[in-house]
Formats: sequence, structure tokens, C-alpha cells
Amino acid sequence: MKKIFLLLCFLFAFGIGFAQIKYNEKLIYSASYNMSGMMTQIAQVTMSTEMVKTSKKSFLHLSWEASTFSKWDKFFKIRDVYETYVDPVTLKPSLYKRSIFEGGYTKTEKYIFGANGKSINSSSKKRNTPETKKTVAIGSSTRDIISMIYKLRTVNFSRFKPGQSASFIIVFDEKEYPVYVRYMGMETVSAGNLGKKQCLKLSITAKTNKLKGRDKNLIWITNDINKVPVLIRFSIPVGTGQLSLSNASGI
Amino acid sequence: MLPEFNKNKTMMRKFIIISAVIFGLLGIVFTILPLGTIAFIPIGITFILSGIAIQKSKNSQRRLPKIVLFISVLTFLVVIGKVIFVKDVIKTDKQFELKKEESKKEDIKDLEGL
Repeated sequence: MKKIFLLLCFLFAFGIGFAQIKYNEKLIYSASYNMSGMMTQIAQVTMSTEMVKTSKKSFLHLSWEASTFSKWDKFFKIRDVYETYVDPVTLKPSLYKRSIFEGGYTKTEKYIFGANGKSINSSSKKRNTPETKKTVAIGSSTRDIISMIYKLRTVNFSRFKPGQSASFIIVFDEKEYPVYVRYMGMETVSAGNLGKKQCLKLSITAKTNKLKGRDKNLIWITNDINKVPVLIRFSIPVGTGQLSLSNASGI
Repeated sequence: MLPEFNKNKTMMRKFIIISAVIFGLLGIVFTILPLGTIAFIPIGITFILSGIAIQKSKNSQRRLPKIVLFISVLTFLVVIGKVIFVKDVIKTDKQFELKKEESKKEDIKDLEGL
């Protein structure tokens, strides 16, 4: 009974509305990078979902693709793909892949999540180096970065007070990192073809050197059932930038 | 006293012209690169410095500052044209699309094994 109560509390706090992650959803963002204090548009980021069926079960394929605008391709071409196959209901990942092409630098990474949920079989390859394979022990609630973002969209923030946090554990570069998402309040933000939307402002912090500063990594998600990320501001060691939603379909 | 003052004035004029030329070249590079409105920074500096250089030069010495000023105006117009007419588009990358297709087939195989 106590376990059921705890489970209900958990579901109530974090929301069970997984239905809002629909398949065939496509969100297109314009990525800008801060150069000398001015935001310069450099790439397009596409977040998409689709249903994939195998002979045994169905998976929700969540994908993030980043491609530089053609005017940049000659100078610094980026073709990055981050993708994960998750359970359509629980959003628990089964397979995560990362393929990076950034100005000639390449890196691929693949994690196969163990059936027990406590390990991943990882294989990674960087440019000019042989492929490495290893098994990494993880916590049962650990997920990849893409499924974390989608899981974040299912959190019921209406019960949060400003300053209150939700926490996740992600595995990135074969290491586990705790990620804290702090609710900062409501703001109205321009959301591409959706017009102006009232959004939940969230601050993301992680115990890693990959994200810099306090409250400098922010995400605004619509305060509705769809919880669409409309603006993402990031601060990384090589600079700052943002992703602005330009088109949303299938929501 | 007066020759010293004139010497300093000439040095100052040369310094302004050299700076204008350097920023002018930077403006051209920024105009060629897809940096958008950032190019206005070196172009604006070139415009101001070449204007000052023209003011500080005698009629017979105004040719180079005028050329630099003309280049700054020209690069300004090119940047304006690029901002208005060159749209941010993604070219269809056949190799990338093919790679994604192959990757998806491989993923299905992996998922079947789970």
C-alpha cells in the first residue's frame, strides 16, 4: 500500500501525461551563436518523433538533427544527429545514438540499454581512432539526454513553486551526470508559427564542465498540454547561443 | 615647435589611414564570410576612420582615404543585400540522408535483438 501511495505521489508530482509526446511531431528551430555580442544564425535544428515497429514491440523514435545553413557549409559544416528509441509510454530508452560531424571532426556513440536497466553496452568512435566498446553500470532511472528532454515535457510543473526543482540522471560520454531543472516562473515568449505563448521558464544545471554558469542554460516550454520547447538558451565553454522555435507541426 | 606639431599631425593621419585600411580589409573578409550584420562593426569603423582621414588630409592626399571610404560604403551595401536577399536554407545533403537511412536499418536490427 505504501509503495502504491509513493508511486501515486510520484506520478502526481511528475505527471503521467505521456500522451503529449505524440509521434510525427516536428519542431524546427533556428540556432544562433553569439559572435562579438551579436547573435548570428548558423544552423537549423529539427526535433522529430516517429513510431518504429519491430516484430516484438513498438518504439518511439526521438531525434534531434542539427545542420548548418548552406551559406555556412563551405566554412564550417555541421551535421549532428542525436537520437533515441524509447518506450512510447514510459519514455525509457532502449537505444541511443549520437553521430557528430563538425567541421571535419567526427564522433559516433551508441548505447544499448540493458534489459535490467542497470547497464549500457557502449560503443564509440572518434575520427582517426579505433572503435571502443565497454559496458557501463548506470542507475535504474538513468536516461540519455534526448529522452530526458522529452521526459521533462511530461513533468507537471503546475504544482511547482518558483525555485522548486526536478532532478534527472543522464548518461553522456559514458558518464552519469545529475541534472537539475529549476522552475523559475512564467514568461510570454514568441513561438514561431504558434504565435506568442505563455511559457514555463526552466533553468538547467548539471555537474559537468559542458554547461557553464548558473541560470545561463534556460529552456522555455509552453504552458499547455503540448509543453513545446520554444526557446533554449545555452552557455557552453566555447560560447553562448540559442535555439528559437520557427515551426511546429504534428503537435 | 610648429614643425614638430606638423610632424605629429602627419603621423596621426598616416596612423588613421593604416587603421582604416586594416579595418577595411577586415570588413571585406567579414562581408565574404556569412557573418551577417557583424560585418557592420569593421565596416562602420572603416567609414569613420576614412572620413576622419579625408578631413585631416590636404586635397592632394585624399585619394587613398576616399578609396577606403568607397570600399566601406560598397561592403555596407553588399551586407545589406545579403541580409535581405540571401535566405537561411538547408541544402539537401544526399550523403547525409543516405547515412541516416542506413543508420535506421541498423537500429531496427539492434532493436529486434532487444
